[in-house]
Amino acid sequence: MTAPPRGPVPTPVQAARAAARRRRWREPEPWLRAACVALVAVVPLAVPSFQITDLAIKIAIFAALVASYDVLLGFTGIVSFGHAMFFGFGAYAVALGVGKTGTTGYGALLAGFALGAVVALTISLVISAFSLRVKAIFFAMITLAFAEFALILAVQWSAFTGGEDGLSPKLPGVFAVGWSGRFLGVPLTGRLVTYYVVLALCVALFALMSRFVRSPLGRTLQAIRDNALRAEALGVRTFVFQTIAAAFASVVASLLGGGYAMWVRYVNPESALGIPIMLDILLMVIIGGIGTLWGGIVGATVLLSAQTLLPGLRTLGARVFAGSDLAQRLTERWLLYFGILFVLVVFFFPKGVLGTLRHRARRS
Amino acid sequence: MDGRTWITLTAAGLAMGMLIFLVASGLTLIFGLMDVLNFAHGALFSWGAYAGFAAAVALNRWWGWGDAPSAGLNALLLLAALAVAIVASGVLGVILERVIVRPVYGQHMFQILITLGATIVLEELLRIVWGPNDQVMPVPSTFQGSWDVADVIVLRFPIVAIVLGVIVYGAMTLVLRATRVGLIVRAGVENGEMVQVLGHDIHRYFTGVFAAGSALAGLGGVMWAVFGQSVRPTMGGEQLIFAFIVVIIGGLGSVTGSLVGALLVGLSYNHVAFLVPKAAIGVTMALMVVVLLLRPAGLFGEGK
Repeated sequence: MTAPPRGPVPTPVQAARAAARRRRWREPEPWLRAACVALVAVVPLAVPSFQITDLAIKIAIFAALVASYDVLLGFTGIVSFGHAMFFGFGAYAVALGVGKTGTTGYGALLAGFALGAVVALTISLVISAFSLRVKAIFFAMITLAFAEFALILAVQWSAFTGGEDGLSPKLPGVFAVGWSGRFLGVPLTGRLVTYYVVLALCVALFALMSRFVRSPLGRTLQAIRDNALRAEALGVRTFVFQTIAAAFASVVASLLGGGYAMWVRYVNPESALGIPIMLDILLMVIIGGIGTLWGGIVGATVLLSAQTLLPGLRTLGARVFAGSDLAQRLTERWLLYFGILFVLVVFFFPKGVLGTLRHRARRS
Repeated sequence: MDGRTWITLTAAGLAMGMLIFLVASGLTLIFGLMDVLNFAHGALFSWGAYAGFAAAVALNRWWGWGDAPSAGLNALLLLAALAVAIVASGVLGVILERVIVRPVYGQHMFQILITLGATIVLEELLRIVWGPNDQVMPVPSTFQGSWDVADVIVLRFPIVAIVLGVIVYGAMTLVLRATRVGLIVRAGVENGEMVQVLGHDIHRYFTGVFAAGSALAGLGGVMWAVFGQSVRPTMGGEQLIFAFIVVIIGGLGSVTGSLVGALLVGLSYNHVAFLVPKAAIGVTMALMVVVLLLRPAGLFGEGK
C-alpha cells in the first residue's frame, strides 16, 4: 500500500506549464530579447552619432508597433489598414495635448496620451461594431476607408491639426530640448531622458503584449483565427473576442504614437497618419514573421536601416548610371524592390525571418 | 436654389455614380463572385488609365484624332483608348491571376497581402515608365463642354459615362444570368469541385472572370482619366476605396447592388458637396455606416 502523495497533485496542464517555465531560460530567445533591449539602451551612451541614436529608438518604436499589429494579424487573423491611423491618433493627441492647451506641465502630456488612447479605443470599437459583425474581412476595407478619412481630416482641418505643416509640440520639464541635469553623476540632456522614457514605454508595451497573447484570452483568439466556426460552436463569442483584440492593438498603437511624437517632436499627416506608414508596418511584419510578435524587431531593423542607408545608395546609383535615364529611375524607385521583396517573402517565407528560424530550431 | 440646379446636380451625381460603378463592377466580379480580395484592383485601374492615356497621346500625335473637329474621329480616339486599356488591364489581370493569386485561393489574409505587394510593384512601375507626376490627358473637343437642354446645363462627357455604365451593367447581367458561361461561373463559385467533375476546366473560367474584372478596372481607369483630364500613379488607390465602399453597400456579388450603391454614392456626394462642401468627404462614410447598420450584408447581399 502506497502512501498518498503529500500536498496538492499537479494536474497535467499545471505540470506542462511548470516544465515550460523551467525550460524557458534554457532557450536562446529570452536572452536574445534581453540583448536587444540592452543594445538599444546602450546606443545613445556609446555612439555619439545622432543619426544612429535616432535610428535605434525608431526601431524600438516600430518594433513595438509591428508587434501590436501582429496581435491583430498574426494572433487574431484580422487584417487592418488602420493601424497607422491609430498610431497617428496617439501622435496627434500628444502633440495637441502639450501644444494647444497652453499649459506645459506633465499633466498635459499624460492627458495627451490618455486622449489618444480614448479616441483610438472609441474609433476601434465603432469600426469593429460595423465590420466584424458581418465578416471579419470587411474590417480591412472599413479600416482603409477610415484611414483615408482621417488623413483627409488631418489635412483639411488645419486650424486644429496644423494641416500639411503639422504640429511641433514643445515638451515640458525634463523632456524639453534645453533641459540638462545630472543623475547619479551622469550628465543628462532632455533628448536623453526622452530616449529612455520612450524606450521604457516600448519595453513595457512589449511585455504587456507578450502577456496578452499568452493569456487565456490570447489563446482563445488563436483558436478563433485557426477555425472561427469551431470556436463559435464551442460557445466562444467570436465577435466580442475579436473586438477586444482590435481595441487592445489600437490603444497600444496610439500609446506608441504618443511616444513617437515625444521623440520626433513633430507630427504631420505624412509622417504619422499616411498610407506609407501602413505599408512600412505591413512590410516589417511580413519580413519579421506573422504570428511571432518579436519578429517586429527583425522587420523594423531591416526596413529602417535600409531606409536610412538609401539616400547613399541613390547617390551611388546616380554615379554609376550617370548616362541612363531609365537606370537612374530604376535606382530611385526603391519602393519597387520592397514590393518585390514583399511578394517573394509572402510566397516563399510566409513565416518571415523569425518564424522560419523558430521552425528550424524546433525541428532540429 | 431652383429646380434646374437640382437637375444639373443630379445629372452630375448620376454620371459620377456610373463612373464609380465601372470600377466597382470589376471588383464585384472578382471579390463578390470569386471571393478573392484583390487589392491590386486599383493598380489595374491605374494601368488601364495610363495605357489609354498613352494610346490617346500617340493617336493624337500621329493623326491628330483628338484635335480634329470631327466627332467621329474624336469618338474613335476614345474607343481606341478604351480598347487599349481593356487589353492592357486584361492581360495584366491574367498574369496576376496565374502567377500570384492562384496559389492563395481561399486564404483571405494572404490574398490581401500578396495583392498589396503587387500593387506596390505595379504603381512603382508606373512611376518608372511615366514619371511620378500628374500628366494631362488629351480630351477630344467633342467630349468637352456641355449641352444646354431647356436651360439645364448637361455636361457632355458624363452622358457618355452614363451610357457606357448602362451598357456594362446590361452586358454583365446578361452574361451572368442568361448564358452558359455565366451559369458555369456561378456554379463554380458555389461548388468548384462538382463543376470540375462535370468536365469544365474551372481554373480557366476563373482566369477569364479575373481578366474580365481587370479589364473593367482598366475601362473605368480611362473614363476617370478623361473625366478628370489627368492621369497620376496614385489615382487607383483613391478609387479603390470608393469601389470597396460601393461593393460593401451593394452587397457581395450583386451586380445590381453595386450599381445602386455606386449611384447612391455619386448622388449623395454631389448633392452634399453643393450644400455643405466641407461634409462631402464624410458623406460616403456615413452612407456606408448607415447601410451596414440597417442591413449588415449590404443592400442586395444574401447574408452570410
